[in-house]
Amino acid sequence: MIDLIVFLTLLALGYGAGTWAEKRHYRSIVAREQATLNLPAVTMKSAHIAENKIRSARMVRGSAVISVDYFKRILAGLRNIFGGKVKSYESLMDRARREALLRMKAMAGDATIIVNVRIETAAIGKQSKRKNISCLEAMAYGTALTVEE
Amino acid sequence: MKFTPRHPGTNVNVSPTHPLKEFAVLAGGLLALTVVVYLVLGLAVDLLVPRISMELEKKLAGAFMQRFNAAGNESDTSRYLQGLVDRIQQQCTNLPYTITIHVQPSDAINAAALPGGHIIVFSGLLAEMQSENELIFVLAHELGHYAHRDHLRGIGRALVLMSASTVLMGANNSISNMIGQGVTLTELNFSRSQEIRADTFALETLVCHYGNTAGATDFFRKIPKAADPGRFGHYFASHPENRRRIDHLENLIRQRGYPIGTPTPLPMDLSLPKTNP
Repeated sequence: MIDLIVFLTLLALGYGAGTWAEKRHYRSIVAREQATLNLPAVTMKSAHIAENKIRSARMVRGSAVISVDYFKRILAGLRNIFGGKVKSYESLMDRARREALLRMKAMAGDATIIVNVRIETAAIGKQSKRKNISCLEAMAYGTALTVEE
Repeated sequence: MKFTPRHPGTNVNVSPTHPLKEFAVLAGGLLALTVVVYLVLGLAVDLLVPRISMELEKKLAGAFMQRFNAAGNESDTSRYLQGLVDRIQQQCTNLPYTITIHVQPSDAINAAALPGGHIIVFSGLLAEMQSENELIFVLAHELGHYAHRDHLRGIGRALVLMSASTVLMGANNSISNMIGQGVTLTELNFSRSQEIRADTFALETLVCHYGNTAGATDFFRKIPKAADPGRFGHYFASHPENRRRIDHLENLIRQRGYPIGTPTPLPMDLSLPKTNP
């Protein structure tokens, strides 16, 4: 009985806190994406810019670590039984990747364009003894070019 | 190629389903599945019981017997009870079981037949005994449950789970031990017809052992003094139930013309020696 109360409390806490954090994060992501629209980040190796025009080229990277909340983990656990799309983790992946891109853009500062952008993801906490730490890291990296006007 | 900065507006990578709705669907599905399994297990018990071999039953016993690690088994009382059971097994019943008596200190006025021939006798029952005949009747009643394999049905659904886990993972695996710990002995369920059959078996054993039926119905006449008939386990289901069992025994005695006889007194005080706290 006590276990059940603890479980339901954690579930409610996980849902409440998790939803609040996610909404807040998305609001911030959308606002910053709008603000950095003019700094393109592309996967192409080059942007056909004449070499003598390039003032500087440097590596920029951004990484974000996002944690699962209790509710999402239980939901994913239920998904593990029945199979199907793990919808509760989709938003985590999405947030981590977009946050990583935004941080990469922040590092690029006033560059003109970021080329050759790649995103890597990694699960964190898989190796921990108590398998209850689960979060994921997304890292975006690319080459920031500053071009003479 | 001209680059136009634009925000995609929609997010294709996150499903629009509300997580609470998803949770309700999945949790509901799991609950429904559990209910189905529970019902199927109930049906499976009757199919399984005749198929359980002695060998498997002995393995199942381990999960229950963890709780009774020789509790009070070295006392004169348990030795005396063991002697009684061995005697009636040899002379009368000859069940294909090795019966072991375990005396369990408890207020419960009850005895329980566990898989593998382990009979748990609660000390509360021993305190109520007034003659050896009465005691033999109770022990033989438990033997009667073994004779008809009621003791396996009584465990019910837990038995199905335990058998499955024992077959798959061997004796004394964690799952069957967990279930074994969880089964409360005072709540082993026997149906009315199972009890009546065990009573008949006990009466026949009594006649075989003593040549008379003294003490057969004594035990059922003990109306619980305390307000807790639950302590009587399956010896005191309810007043009308009890009345029916006494009538059944008396009818049998009349029909078969069994002699009444006089009860044999107990050779010793059966209450457990007080342990120093």
